[in-house]
Amino acid sequence: MTAGTAASPREAVRAVSRGRLGRLTGSAVVYGVVVGVLAVVVGEWLGVNPPAAYGLCSACHGRDLTSWLVNHLEGRHLFITAAGAKGWPLLTVVGVVVGSYVASKRNGEHATLNLGGNVRQFVYGALVMSAALFVGGCPTRIIIRSGYGDLAGVLALGGVATGIVAATLTLRWAARR
Amino acid sequence: MIVSLASLGLGLVVGYLGQRSRMCSIGGLRDFVLVRDTALLKGAGALLVSAWVAFSLARFVSGSGHGLIAAGTTPSGLRAVAAIAVGAILLGFFATLSGACPLRQHVLAGQGRIGAWWFLAGFYVAAVVYTSWIQPSIGGWVL
Repeated sequence: MTAGTAASPREAVRAVSRGRLGRLTGSAVVYGVVVGVLAVVVGEWLGVNPPAAYGLCSACHGRDLTSWLVNHLEGRHLFITAAGAKGWPLLTVVGVVVGSYVASKRNGEHATLNLGGNVRQFVYGALVMSAALFVGGCPTRIIIRSGYGDLAGVLALGGVATGIVAATLTLRWAARR
Repeated sequence: MIVSLASLGLGLVVGYLGQRSRMCSIGGLRDFVLVRDTALLKGAGALLVSAWVAFSLARFVSGSGHGLIAAGTTPSGLRAVAAIAVGAILLGFFATLSGACPLRQHVLAGQGRIGAWWFLAGFYVAAVVYTSWIQPSIGGWVL
């Protein structure tokens, strides 16, 4: 036995369980199953409706939060869905940022990183939000809506897939020329 | 109150798992087209299938029908179909150019990516601008 492995049994068990949990939480399929089920539970039984299939959406929930803030601070009457106007606002987007912060801190992956092109990202953000509100959901909610059986959602899913392929081929073409 | 807590809790879970799995709802197809990598595409497929199964179970439990197509979700006409298709193509196009889907940008922002902070700034400015001026002027002709 080498000196480095002389840990207490409790620590050894903890390391093994952390490894197993790490493999589970690091899998995209586990993410899909857990998030799909939780979005339905939150949307159907915990009151995040109407509209239907509204459990998880970054664009719509973000819009509900900003509209709620503007309405309460400025006294205006911007559009909020019924789910976002039940007294307190929807905090999904805050939860996502905080959850990701906690996960990256716990696993030593948090790093303030500036890759440049920030003004371009600002413009893309504005365009993505406008398009998402026009269509009625961010790509994640479009997937969940399609699972709900929403024909408009299925149509939007096909459109998003077309857009992704077109943009990817454009990027590859631009990188090769 | 319960709505806020439920959405906050769901957000925390999504943020944590999203950071660990690097899941992105547009990244799957992009990676498949570029390098034939299907890891994230499987995640998107799992999300679709599990949402479908869970919604079917929820309908079965509450006894409210069992149709595959939900009532009242059919686009009202050709104009609505065209509007949704064009809007969705633009959504997929710009999201791919920005590098990640909006949910993944939130995760990257929590992880410390400065480009994602700028993305979110544009995102929420556009939310207020869109609901203040664009949405009232285009009305409800999309659906």
